[in-house]
Amino acid sequence: MKHLLTLTCLIVAGLAASTAAAQMTNPVQIVEEANIASYYAGEDGRSAARMLIVDGNDNRQRRQFTLLRKDVADGGDQRYLVVFSRPADIRGTVFRVEKHVGEADDRWLYLPALDLVKRIAAGDKRTSFVGSHFFYEDISGRGTEEDEHSLIDTTDEYYVIESTPKDPDQVEFARYRTWIDRETMLPMRTEYQRASGEVYRRMEVTEVETIDGYPTGTEARMEDLDSGGYTVTQFRFSEYDVGLPDRIFSERSLRNPPRDWLRRD
Amino acid sequence: MTRRWPGWHRRGVLLGLLLMATATPLIAQDNAEADDPWGDEAWGEDPWAEEQTGWQWYGFIEGATATRIHDDPAVGDDYTLNEARLQLEAERALGDYTATIKGDVWIDGVEDGVRGDLREAALAGRLTDRIDINVGRQILTWGTGDLVFLNDLFPKDYVSFFSGRDDEYLKAPADALKLSWFGDVNVDVVWMPRAAPNRYITGERLSYFSVVEGRRVAAPPTIDPRERDSVGRDSEFALRVYQTIDGVEYAGYAYHGYDNQPSAVDPSTGEAYFPRLSSLGASLRRPILGGIGNLETAYYAGEDHGGKDPNLPNDQWRFLAGYENEPAPDFTLGWQYLLEWTRDHDALVNNLPASQRRYAPDEYRHLLTNRITWQLLRQDLTLSLFTFYSPSDADYYLRPRAIYRFSDQLTGTAGGNLFGGKDDWTFHTQLEDNSNVYLRLRYSF
Repeated sequence: MKHLLTLTCLIVAGLAASTAAAQMTNPVQIVEEANIASYYAGEDGRSAARMLIVDGNDNRQRRQFTLLRKDVADGGDQRYLVVFSRPADIRGTVFRVEKHVGEADDRWLYLPALDLVKRIAAGDKRTSFVGSHFFYEDISGRGTEEDEHSLIDTTDEYYVIESTPKDPDQVEFARYRTWIDRETMLPMRTEYQRASGEVYRRMEVTEVETIDGYPTGTEARMEDLDSGGYTVTQFRFSEYDVGLPDRIFSERSLRNPPRDWLRRD
Repeated sequence: MTRRWPGWHRRGVLLGLLLMATATPLIAQDNAEADDPWGDEAWGEDPWAEEQTGWQWYGFIEGATATRIHDDPAVGDDYTLNEARLQLEAERALGDYTATIKGDVWIDGVEDGVRGDLREAALAGRLTDRIDINVGRQILTWGTGDLVFLNDLFPKDYVSFFSGRDDEYLKAPADALKLSWFGDVNVDVVWMPRAAPNRYITGERLSYFSVVEGRRVAAPPTIDPRERDSVGRDSEFALRVYQTIDGVEYAGYAYHGYDNQPSAVDPSTGEAYFPRLSSLGASLRRPILGGIGNLETAYYAGEDHGGKDPNLPNDQWRFLAGYENEPAPDFTLGWQYLLEWTRDHDALVNNLPASQRRYAPDEYRHLLTNRITWQLLRQDLTLSLFTFYSPSDADYYLRPRAIYRFSDQLTGTAGGNLFGGKDDWTFHTQLEDNSNVYLRLRYSF
């Protein structure tokens, strides 16, 4: 089974490599490949991340965490462990997610001062991730089947996709446009629009590095155009295919984070 | 440790608040680092960065004041809380182990003096691939209830909880050895070599209802039960067996030790003490109807078989059902129903002196809770209300709260602990005169 999965991944990766050069015309295929490129690089991954959160009044906050991810299936379910190291009042907080495509995620939060493992209702994925301008969904990916996608432009550099929600009541946007790099298949810019067409929220990838063979967005900026606030997220010390075992995505790791796997090499 | 410095400690609280006020310009300065907005520490504080050497230090200073909303004839003090607090935490990695020491020191304007509390002094780590160990003073929690505990018989500090301190102080530390085994099922075994009781209401900070006097009272005299502090002989054991299967969390629990409250009276001396208590229980938690549902039960078996001794608590069955969901973005709603079923209730009532019968617990005590949490301003502001309401006791306890994060360092909290009900002697109504509103300001570093 595992070999089959690996083989499938190789074929998918191979297809991605061969099609990237050629021009793609199927918007669903483009979006699915962009999703894989952004959120499913390698079988697993480790990265240190920090956020600079700036509100409309130029008040600044920071977050720093280490993120461990393991794919159950490419383009499908994933496991996440997010261990916070900054600021002081959330240091030691650990967030564990079993991401399920097409159904609600399982989420747990560990609060060290109370030694409390709290289970969190799946809830709205379009709410702030730890007080930043990024939503949960921006961190772990939005299901590609949740929107209708159309290819509205193909430039030398980008595929421009317009996506409209199948269930508009579940989201705050009317539609969004994504500029996907034809070379790397990474979404480089996403603009969220109101029904009037006004853009009120914009994500831009401002830095890309190729890590272990995978092009990786290492700096991204999310802007709230209404308030003027924004969040910059940087990823450093990223590694893929580190061989994270399944067992570290467990309650054990909430109370006692897996040092060996969190440590940078 | 405790000394009397009349008047001085009140000023101490002000001093604490002033300290924080002077700390705020530092934050402004932090904002001014235009060249490198991340600050020069950059990635350095990431504890996984490299093998750490030496101790890492963290902590906060906090000023807190809570004022009674009506006069308490039993307690002379208008405040339930008035303190300036320093918490320091030191952490050090030692191979696969982490040593943690966390202690609080505060100037207490209610209990008059400087107080200290060692909250953690423990060594935790991986003993083998399958076994974790945590030895020393630590905070321990398990079970599925939200501010309601059935199988979690680790010590609580209700005095802090009711008087206006942060939620983290609801859990009191215990000296314990915790071994965790991870396999097809996971097992936690906790040994507390001497009993770890609650920090119960003694009458010093908060008044309570005395069934002997038939009215609300406070210290003096303080409740001063016989200690259970003989190392080894007064051991307590707690066990949890658990596993998560397809997103459903199953757990079984056992406890053998002492009641956390001094709930028994020695008839020969009139002295209160902590009677034996054993319990067995189980819980289940899973996603359901778009939210999280939980069920938990526990059977408490005490010393009083047959329930005939009015000086000992009777056995009890407890059942809990809860549900939490997020009906709107950043808005969560939680509901719980708790049943406390006192066994052999007739025997209990028949053996009480006639004058105390009315104070006996109901055979079935029903408790409903509700939690509303609303996060605004990108989670900088959290508004919440936790309500306890018992239809059988006809009493309530409201915990409204607003938390505002001024910055990563500075957090302000305003809230209340509001008690009331029909009969003076029920669990929440007896605390009515302790109803308070509080304000806390914390600077973390």
